[in-house]
Amino acid sequence: MSKKLLIIDDDPDFVSGIKSILDAGGYEVDVAYNPKDGLRALQAKKYDLLLLDIMMGRGAEGIMIARKMRKDAKLREIPVLIITGMREQIAFLFPGEPVHPRFVDVDEMVEKPVEPKLLLDKVQSLIQAAEAKKAEK
Amino acid sequence: MENKAKILIIDDEEVVLDSCAQILKGAPYQLATASDGTSGLTLLQEFRPDLVFVDLKMPGISGFEVLEKIGEIDPTIVIVVITGFATVSSAVEAMKKGAYDFLPKPFTPDEFRLIARRGIERRKLMLEAIALRKERDLLREQFASIVSHELKAPLSAIQQNIFALEFELEKRLGPEQKEKFERIKARLTDLLKMINSWLRVIAVDIDRLKEGFVPLSIAEPIANAIESLDTLAARKNIKIVSEVGQDLPAVLGDKVSLAEVFVNIIGNALKYSPDGSNVRVTARQEEQTIAISIEDSGIGIAEEDLPHIFDGFYRGKGGQTVAGGHGIGLAVARQIVEAHNGSIEVESEVGTGTTFTVRLPIHQS
Repeated sequence: MSKKLLIIDDDPDFVSGIKSILDAGGYEVDVAYNPKDGLRALQAKKYDLLLLDIMMGRGAEGIMIARKMRKDAKLREIPVLIITGMREQIAFLFPGEPVHPRFVDVDEMVEKPVEPKLLLDKVQSLIQAAEAKKAEK
Repeated sequence: MENKAKILIIDDEEVVLDSCAQILKGAPYQLATASDGTSGLTLLQEFRPDLVFVDLKMPGISGFEVLEKIGEIDPTIVIVVITGFATVSSAVEAMKKGAYDFLPKPFTPDEFRLIARRGIERRKLMLEAIALRKERDLLREQFASIVSHELKAPLSAIQQNIFALEFELEKRLGPEQKEKFERIKARLTDLLKMINSWLRVIAVDIDRLKEGFVPLSIAEPIANAIESLDTLAARKNIKIVSEVGQDLPAVLGDKVSLAEVFVNIIGNALKYSPDGSNVRVTARQEEQTIAISIEDSGIGIAEEDLPHIFDGFYRGKGGQTVAGGHGIGLAVARQIVEAHNGSIEVESEVGTGTTFTVRLPIHQS
């Protein structure tokens, strides 16, 4: 069965650019274009991974989602790939190396735009890491 | 009235306090008085005056001490010292220590009113200047975040769709079409990088870097910079030869911004060097500094351009058409190096190559 992913990002053009890559990668992809719909989707359906844009709306509204997930025992287990438009000093310093925001159990951060290979690699490795962590429990 | 200007007078002579109060009667000021330095300072804390008159010669703590203490409490409070006629030299001394003006005894009511008015005016201007500076910083930050979002978001979306398109068409694209994709991607990447470095200049107060300085080995930021330039070097088949001395003493600095310095300088060296050449990066100890040299065998910089290359937005009058320079990297590099109490210099010969040398003081532990 193919893995289910959710993208929460308010830029439909950007979303189209990552969704088609993930579609081609064999994932089943849902999209929410605002934090509210995103949270609703997370609660309604079980996802294997969330791709989250931090800088939505007028500020860092994506962080609100990360905070809510952190407080929820069930949602905490979903791995999160944070996609940010902010230039991350850390990402600059360690190109290619993972940056862990530690919002939830398993997460990582990449900068927009994301190269297809990197995107697919990160998605796969995060899902695997989350599964391994779950198996430990 | 709430926002009447406030004046505090500290003088041990009752007659002075009285006459000052008399003179200012009916003027739009709120007045408080104290007869010695210690009680004056206590009063100052709650009264929060705009202007303080201090007698230099008082029993107890001296006027100079009061002057210093007020400067520590709130440097925007305007201070005028009251002195005897014969002691102009101590008035000068007081003004060196931060007093705005002096009032020689004895004074006429007009003199006193004039100096009071000027002092109050001065305070107003100082507060306005501070408010303006704050507003400017705020605007700068807001501008940066607007540029960041409004300019970068569409570019990211474009680049992302190009990535996706190339990915989907991978098997159907011929070499010529693939090359076009590469060109589009490379130019967009440059554009995004340029916005980032502009943002860096606009949004970041480089002096604030100093707060986060730690002792570090210069080898680290150099290695990070070279690593992040790997792709660019590979594209031009340029070898970056790095000779960083082992066990060099530490420097005091910020690793991220030092890496940025080297990315900017080495990146330039790569851009202006012919394909297949070498760029040499060396670090060695020179007396009390670590000297890092970046040497290329590129097109070189014309002599008339050399004095301007650290100015920002300067790319040489020679009409260089080499792609990718945005004329601000070296300006940023210089600012960062100077924040580290270091220096940066350049030697160049057209057609032969260019050597940049960054010198940073060794950390004295």
